[in-house]
Amino acid sequence: MSAARNKAIDHLGRWLLLGLLLIYTVYNLGPILWLMISSLKGRADLFAMPPTWIFTPDLTGYQSVFGVGAARESASSFGVFDSLVNSVIVSSVGTTLAVLLGTLAGYVCSRFDFRGKGDFLFFVLSTRMLPPVAVLVFYHIMFAKLGLADTRTGLVLISVFANVGLATWIMKGFFDSVPREVEQIAIVSGYSRLYAFRHLVLPMVKGGIAATAGFCFIFAWNEFAFSSILTTTQAKTLPVKISTASGATGIEWTQICAAGVVLIIPVLIFFYLIRKHLLMGMTFGVLGRS
Amino acid sequence: MNAPMLELNGLRKAYRGKPALSGVDLTVRSNEILALLGPTGAGKSSTLLATAGLMETDRGSVHLGGRDVTGAEASSRDVSIVFEGFNLLPVLNVRDNIAFPLRSPRYREAEDEIAKRVGRTAELLRISHLLDRDTGTLSGGEKQRVSIARALVRRPMLYLLDEPLSALDLKLREGLRAELRAIHREHQSTMLYATHDYHGAIAIADRIAIINEGRVLQTGTIEEIYARPAEAFVGRLIGSPSMAFFDAVVKDNAVKVPGWAQSLPLSGFGGVNAKPGPVSLGIWPEDIRMTGDGNPGTIYAVDNRGYESAVQVNTTSGVFRKVLEDKRSFKQGDACHFRVMDGAGFLFDRTTGALLSHQGGAQ
Repeated sequence: MSAARNKAIDHLGRWLLLGLLLIYTVYNLGPILWLMISSLKGRADLFAMPPTWIFTPDLTGYQSVFGVGAARESASSFGVFDSLVNSVIVSSVGTTLAVLLGTLAGYVCSRFDFRGKGDFLFFVLSTRMLPPVAVLVFYHIMFAKLGLADTRTGLVLISVFANVGLATWIMKGFFDSVPREVEQIAIVSGYSRLYAFRHLVLPMVKGGIAATAGFCFIFAWNEFAFSSILTTTQAKTLPVKISTASGATGIEWTQICAAGVVLIIPVLIFFYLIRKHLLMGMTFGVLGRS
Repeated sequence: MNAPMLELNGLRKAYRGKPALSGVDLTVRSNEILALLGPTGAGKSSTLLATAGLMETDRGSVHLGGRDVTGAEASSRDVSIVFEGFNLLPVLNVRDNIAFPLRSPRYREAEDEIAKRVGRTAELLRISHLLDRDTGTLSGGEKQRVSIARALVRRPMLYLLDEPLSALDLKLREGLRAELRAIHREHQSTMLYATHDYHGAIAIADRIAIINEGRVLQTGTIEEIYARPAEAFVGRLIGSPSMAFFDAVVKDNAVKVPGWAQSLPLSGFGGVNAKPGPVSLGIWPEDIRMTGDGNPGTIYAVDNRGYESAVQVNTTSGVFRKVLEDKRSFKQGDACHFRVMDGAGFLFDRTTGALLSHQGGAQ
């Protein structure tokens, strides 16, 4: 009798949990699904009320984002493709530089003692605490004077500046988990420290580098505040372009939705590619010690 | 006596104001195994790192094979090192781990010579069957064999072994220790072997150096150290069980321990550099006899090891542990009596621990 009741309660709990998870999933993925569907709808279908579920896919949104087909020539699509190119260049170059510098700085901070190391590490971290809005105006003026306003170079610099601190900290953590004996054995065996770093230590923190790159790439790809102030036409990145996309016929929703989907995809691809390293890296264990 | 292979003079090192080495003086002779024996944090690892050139010292000098290498690069010092825990390079397999030193720019050998040497060394340490394995698949004992093989594959002037066997279980430890000893005999190598394990030290070493708080207190054969421990600390570290200490008083040309029937004449302590007053009396447990009469004590604990048994005896002025020579059985809580053999014992300063007896003269 009581066993049966317990079973019933168990069942109820199971269904309750399932329901909660369903709500959570819809809450999270619903907007993305909505976005994806909307990106394929023509203007008429988009505004139909009640919403249409069966419609002829309209690819003009994507055409304008990638700068192909008939939509390429339309005034409303001007610059969306260029901003995608900008985003890809700024994010990948910025991430590469930030990870490169962060790896070197992280190694130095992990292995060497130098005067002011604690202050240096705090300063480096504090660059990430800074609310961008607080200094936007000054960057705007500085970049204008230096000729960096509305250039990809300028945005790459911003991206490196914003991410190198994070990269340094994460990489320091990974290097800390590599025993110093690795280099000590190499040096006593007649190798240089540089050899030990490149051929023994770096392979041990591969996962860490991938994880760091992942974080930096997301931050760079999603960066909005600086790009919106420091660019006007030439170097506009995709997030900024989406927020300001409007054409002769008002706001181009189809185009915005297509661009939104395009904005999500690189992050997904990137994380799919590094997922193995990421899981390993996220644990910060790097690998089993021998 | 062989020429010195390694000479350390007055090595000092402080980490963030905390001294790690406070003037280490140490000599390792050619073809000997010197055990650097001391508790955790005594400065053993720092001494080895400084010798290898992996740690900069604040003061002092390092001479290797007669050459001053104090400022020399670690990669040029011609030493091999084995660490306690982490040792293998996980990005290389076992064979490449062992061959690693022979492929370095400084100690490079031809590949066929490397293959020969790796094969021979692996055979010596009985790990030939592991050569193509990944380091991650090895057991603790196998890993340590591989790391010792990597050190032995080269013939450096000096081997530095930093607690190489401590992470292993007793049986493996004893086996590997014997092998190290055999390899040493065969190849006439010079080894500096850091350990906190007294048994390990006397089993492998020709001579022992006692280190504590960044200072070498005494160097010598185990017999020399037994005959004249330089400080009370040495007595506490050496022996199994270690030296027994009693609060005693020097009075009327004798050493008296409160509560003891026995009074030890001062003439039995060699030249004594002590004024009348309180001292610490140290006695090797082997010099204490459990007797029917004499100084009273209580059996605090009995440790039956099957082939022998050991007791801990509490007295009013000190505690001692000793292995029983005969098959007499004691029970916990029993009253007992003991006597100190004539001429045994050492006097130490109660506060500094310095040796006060045996100042020259009779030992």
